[in-house]
Amino acid sequence: MNTAAPLQAPLQAPLLHLERLSVRYGRIAALEEVDLEVRSGELVTLLGSNGAGKSTTLKAISQLVAPSGGAVRWRGQSLKGVATETTVRLGIGHCPEGRRVLSRQSVATNLELGAYLRRDHSGIATDLERCYGLFPRLAERRSQLAGSLSGGEQQMLAIARALMGRPTLLMLDEPSLGLAPKLVAEVMGILAELHRQGLSILLVEQNARAALAIASRGYLLEAGRVSRSGSATELLDDEGLQASYLGR
Amino acid sequence: MPLDASLLVQMLLGALLGLSVYLPLRAGQLSLATPGFYAIGGYTAALLSTRFPALAGDGALYPLPSLLLELVLAALIAGALALAIGGPVLKLKGIYLAIATIALVEILRVLNLNLGFTGGATGLFAIPQPFEGPVGYLLLSLAVLALVCWLCARLERLRLGRAMEAIREDELAAACMGLDTARVKLLSFLFSALVAAVAGVISAHFLNTWNARQGSFDASITTLAFVVFGGSRTWLGPVVGGLALTALPELLRPVGDLRLVVYGLVILLGPILFPQGLITPELLRRLRWPFRQTSAEAPAP
Repeated sequence: MNTAAPLQAPLQAPLLHLERLSVRYGRIAALEEVDLEVRSGELVTLLGSNGAGKSTTLKAISQLVAPSGGAVRWRGQSLKGVATETTVRLGIGHCPEGRRVLSRQSVATNLELGAYLRRDHSGIATDLERCYGLFPRLAERRSQLAGSLSGGEQQMLAIARALMGRPTLLMLDEPSLGLAPKLVAEVMGILAELHRQGLSILLVEQNARAALAIASRGYLLEAGRVSRSGSATELLDDEGLQASYLGR
Repeated sequence: MPLDASLLVQMLLGALLGLSVYLPLRAGQLSLATPGFYAIGGYTAALLSTRFPALAGDGALYPLPSLLLELVLAALIAGALALAIGGPVLKLKGIYLAIATIALVEILRVLNLNLGFTGGATGLFAIPQPFEGPVGYLLLSLAVLALVCWLCARLERLRLGRAMEAIREDELAAACMGLDTARVKLLSFLFSALVAAVAGVISAHFLNTWNARQGSFDASITTLAFVVFGGSRTWLGPVVGGLALTALPELLRPVGDLRLVVYGLVILLGPILFPQGLITPELLRRLRWPFRQTSAEAPAP
């Protein structure tokens, strides 16, 4: 490793940079030499089918699984060996697959827990109101148990909870999973709005069409490797991608 | 005289042991190590009070400052052990953690049974009495239980308590929120060890004798039953469970040989009729605010 890199890197370095990242689960290679970057203010999507390694990529970034090779760089600095807690502190928000709201806690408690590491009480209160503004249905149900929300509302809560950590980069793991088409459009609309407000987003999706509609760039993951990458329009026109993932 | 002061002391100690099982469970960790730490507390008290004449003083009664010293030392030893083994052991999940903690209890039991200074199979005798009768123990146990209950009730409202609850519901989601899950789990394990060790110190004096049978696998299951029966989602559950299930075998004495059958039935029927235990947060909410609950828990459309 070049020890001088972090000193001169911040201006030039992408926000997030995966360098030949590999992850193994025992003898199975889940990710092989994945290169990916997200620049500040970008909305990048990571596409692929079940088992392609999309969730593993996000878990490796959050240090929930340890990479077997390569590096995860945040603003140029390697995250090797840091705790998940630190990645959250550094500004990497991870909204995990399957919503995973705390069903026996109220909507408000879920949101407050999203700000667990923060101490700025006035800032937390402001962000809480901002979330309720962004997701009015959560405001109506703030004292209701999260488990009693509909699937769409739970997904909104999961996104709002991740926002409560005030991330620089928001990583979402298949937010469209199991949602009706109308709700998928609503979730994507909210992500596009957050992106317009300046949030950097890494969106993992199986629903390639919905994701490419709002993303500026995308990567396609197949069997643990990046098989295609490019701008959203390039990927939408890609014949191979069209056949396998866009269903034309 | 079924409900005398001695039984009350045992019930209070049972409630403390229930809380010791409950604390890690609050963070989703099924630890059965409580009898191990209880045994450590008991041996600490028994050894200090019988082997060090300086601590025993001149009077007829064992001095209270010496008892306090035992409590502090027992807490330190049990706490140090909990911190040392908690790191690796808490990496295990669910039933595997339970098995590993049973192993800990068994290792300690076999050590206590075979080491010279613990008195071997016969154990330690003539542990001096700090009080003249059971009433002193009753007051002491009551005070300790009240303190631990107060701390547990505080914990449920504190950031740390809410972090435990979050880990219990979904450890991955908790980690994604930035919770240091390993540290929170270790703290809950430490609290459990401290409570059990304190109960062990009081128990050793109260029983007047201590041996390896005090910390056995049977006790792991009995103390777990306190929590399963009483409920594991609020501190009042294990307290009620510990009090009730310690008293029950004694209260059932008139039934004769049938008492263990009835006891078994109660433990069996409890989880069937009350899957979350007798005491749940919802029940407490209902009892306290009968009118508010409709708006807070209205079902989603």
